[in-house]
Amino acid sequence: MTKTTGDKNIEADEPHWIEWVTGAVSAVIVIAVMVWIAKDAIADRDASPDLVGSFVNVERRSGGYQVQFEVRNKASVTASQVTVRGEVRDGDALLEATDTVVDYVPGHSTATGGLIFQHDPDGKTIHIQATAFNDP
Amino acid sequence: MEAATNKDHFNSKQFLAGIARGIAGALLFALPMFMTMEMWELGFYMDRNRLLMLMAINIPLLIILSDRVGFEQTSTWRQAIRDASIAYALGIIASALILAAMGVLHVDQSMHEVSGMIAVQAVPASIGAMLGRSQLGGQSDDDGKSDHDDNDDPVSDRETSYAGELFLMAVGALFLNLNVAPTEEMILLSYKMSPWHALVIVASSLALMHGFVYALSFRGSHDLAEGTPSWHAFIRFTLPGYLIAGLISAYCLWTFHRIDDVGITQALIAVVILSFPGAIGAAAARLIL
Repeated sequence: MTKTTGDKNIEADEPHWIEWVTGAVSAVIVIAVMVWIAKDAIADRDASPDLVGSFVNVERRSGGYQVQFEVRNKASVTASQVTVRGEVRDGDALLEATDTVVDYVPGHSTATGGLIFQHDPDGKTIHIQATAFNDP
Repeated sequence: MEAATNKDHFNSKQFLAGIARGIAGALLFALPMFMTMEMWELGFYMDRNRLLMLMAINIPLLIILSDRVGFEQTSTWRQAIRDASIAYALGIIASALILAAMGVLHVDQSMHEVSGMIAVQAVPASIGAMLGRSQLGGQSDDDGKSDHDDNDDPVSDRETSYAGELFLMAVGALFLNLNVAPTEEMILLSYKMSPWHALVIVASSLALMHGFVYALSFRGSHDLAEGTPSWHAFIRFTLPGYLIAGLISAYCLWTFHRIDDVGITQALIAVVILSFPGAIGAAAARLIL
C-alpha cells in the first residue's frame, strides 16, 4: 500500500504478505526469462540463417492454382527479404516458375505465403526453395 | 462530463469543457498512432477475434481508470461506467474524424476496412480521452482536482491499494507500448539484437524503472518508510511492475500479429525490447496518475 500526502508517496512499512508473494513470483519469472535468453546467448549462436521451403497445400482460386508454402529457419539468426521460388515440374521438365519475397523469417521460426500458378500442380511435383535473403 | 451528476445542476459549459478535454486527450495521446502506417494496415488484416478481444478489454480498463483517476471520493461505479462510455465514444468519433481528415479513410473503402481501422485506433484514443479528462483538467475553478489544493483535499491525501499501484503501472505500460508495438521497428530491433543485447535491456529497464520512482526526486516520487531497505521496494513494486510491462508487451505483440510463428527466444527478445518503453511508462504512471 502507498500513502499519498500532497506530492509525496510513502510506501507502507508493514506491507501485506500478498505484496511479497507477488514480488517473489515476479522475480522468479523475470529470472527465468533472463536465464532462457542467456542460455541461447551462450549455446545457440549460428552465423547465418538456415532456410528450408516446404509445400503446405494447393487450392483452386480465381487467379489460378494457389500454392501455400512455409519457410522454416532452422538457425538462430533472422533472415530478411527472403526470396522464395516455386516450380511446377513434370518429371524433369519445368512447366512454370514463380517467386515472391517474404519480409522476415526469424530465427527458429516459420513464415508463410502463397504462389499462384496457371498449371494445375495435380499429379506434378511442386518444388519450393528459398533462393536469396538479406541480413536484417 | 463530470458536471452531469445531477439534472438540476446540469451545466452545459462544464459538460462541453469536459468533452473538449476528452478530445484534446485523445489527440495528445493517440495522434502518433493515427500517423502510423502499420496501425492503418492492422485495421484491415488484423484477426477479428483479437480485435474484438482488444475492444472488450478496453471497456473494464476505461471503467477502472475512470474510477481511479476521476473524482474517486464522490464517483460511483455508475458514474465511472458513464464516463467510460463517453470516453470510448469520443475515441471512436475522434478516430473516424481524424482518419477521414488525413485521407486515410475513403468513401470507396469497404466497411470491413473502415470499421477495423476505426476500431483499432479508438482503443488508444479512448484511453487518451479518459486521461485527458483527468490530467488536462484541474486548472480551472470548476474542477476540484487542482494541483495546488491544500493537503487536506481528499483527492491529494489518499491511500492507493497495492492492486491500484499495479493497475496504474499497467496503464502506463500499455500507453507507451501501444505507441510502438504496431510498428515494424519493434520486431526488426528484436532481429538485430543478440540475446546479450536483450539481457542488457532487461537490466537497464529494471534500473530505470526503479530510479524513476525512487531515486530521482521527481514530483510525485515515492519514498520508503524510515528504516526500510530499498530492495524491499524493488521486490514489491519494481519487479511486479516490470512483469506487468512484459505481459502487456506480449499481449500487444500478439494482438498485432507480431509474434505469430516466431520462435520462443525471438519472441522473448521482442517482448524485452517492447518492455523497455513499457517499463518507463509504468514508472512514469506511478508518478503522474
